[in-house]
Amino acid sequence: MFDFEGSISEIYKNHYLDVYRFLICFSGDQSDAEDMTQEVFIRVLNNISLYNSSYNLKTWIFAIAKHVAVDHYRKKRFTTFFKDGFFNQLISTDKGPNELMEQSEMKKLVHEAISMLKPNYRMVVILRGINEFSIKDTSQILQCSESKVKVDYHRALKILKNKLFLDAKEVVGNAN
Amino acid sequence: MQTDKELFDLIKETYPLNPSKDFIESTEHKLRKTAKKLNRKRMGKHLSFAFSGVILFILSVSWLFLFDGKAMVMTTLNSFRENNAVSLVDDEEPLVFIYHTHNTEGFLSETNKNNPSEVFHDTKNITLVGNKLNEALKEKNINSIQDNSNVNGILEERGLYSNESYIISGEVLKDALKRNKSIKMAFDIHRDSSNRNVTTQTLNGIDYARISFIISRSNSNYKDNLEFAKLLHTKLEEKYPGLSRGILEKSNENVSQQSTYNQELLKQSVLLEVGGIENTLEEEYRTVNIFAEIIAENMDKLN
Repeated sequence: MFDFEGSISEIYKNHYLDVYRFLICFSGDQSDAEDMTQEVFIRVLNNISLYNSSYNLKTWIFAIAKHVAVDHYRKKRFTTFFKDGFFNQLISTDKGPNELMEQSEMKKLVHEAISMLKPNYRMVVILRGINEFSIKDTSQILQCSESKVKVDYHRALKILKNKLFLDAKEVVGNAN
Repeated sequence: MQTDKELFDLIKETYPLNPSKDFIESTEHKLRKTAKKLNRKRMGKHLSFAFSGVILFILSVSWLFLFDGKAMVMTTLNSFRENNAVSLVDDEEPLVFIYHTHNTEGFLSETNKNNPSEVFHDTKNITLVGNKLNEALKEKNINSIQDNSNVNGILEERGLYSNESYIISGEVLKDALKRNKSIKMAFDIHRDSSNRNVTTQTLNGIDYARISFIISRSNSNYKDNLEFAKLLHTKLEEKYPGLSRGILEKSNENVSQQSTYNQELLKQSVLLEVGGIENTLEEEYRTVNIFAEIIAENMDKLN
């Protein structure tokens, strides 16, 4: 009998950070991201018998993470997706000097920009940019064609840049 | 701030990129616990399967050898074989032919008539007794067929007199013999119209209808028929004394007026009077069951 418990723990240790990072960037809320990360690995555990070893384990886990994220997004959409908690927290910890204020303003902008992206775009950006998956792996995780990954990625980045760098100039301008 | 890398760095700076230590540890703990539970469930399933398999095996073995299961298996197998045998015989080659020249002869208990000459019924009649004999013979692995032709109805249809009914039943018998060369015995079953005390015999406190064997002297098979009737009468009397009323040989000074009862058609054929109008169907059934038993026991002497 192989060590089921040990191998699950091993899988978790190898992958939790990547999964968490994907989910924190997607949701913007640490406790949500942690809950979702846990949910992902519970699902991995329950469905490990369905895992096809010809498939890359990491992309398989991320495909699960994608579903968890989408489920979470649907639930949140009807409540309040723009959670005040995150910003209140940032502002309360980042009180003080101008510089810190600027940084927190910047963070707020980034979060707003990312949250404005539709979930599909958001995932492509995070998977490619933060988790640094290849186009091929990303297409497997999102279960779409590679060309769609490329197109979505470029459109998403364009939207982000427009939003951020236009608004950022204002922030910086105001600060000066 | 224009490159993609810078953008991603910005995003990375925005969010707390490491989950809390508490979370990491508690999640790992939770996963291990769930895995353990799952594993135990899986093991449990395997174990319970194996365990119930062993129990089942022990039970069946002990049943076979300790609790006479073997006998049960054997009887089941045997009855299976017997059933097969019956169905084989059933398909072909009947040995016994049962018919009714007076098919509507009924019983007082089954009709609301008081006049003995009116005790007839379209369904609750002597054919039920014939059917019982047919079934009883089959149960004893003697293949038999019963003819339920409405001789009485045909008679009326053709506008014939009742004493001509043997012409109709003769056609029935001829037809049956032609189609089934295997038929060795024929019984034309009637009921008598005598009083109950004549037609009833009590054995061990149980009432039975009595049987008479009627033979026509004016038929070419008379001797063979008589021998056949004698054998059955004797065997019946040996085992169930009083159940047979004996053999009645019918003759008429004017030979042409005496019916042959179609007995010239088959060497082993006889007219039976089973009970009378005052007997119940139950009493009739009891007697034909015994009669089937006697036939079965003497199959070697009948040819």
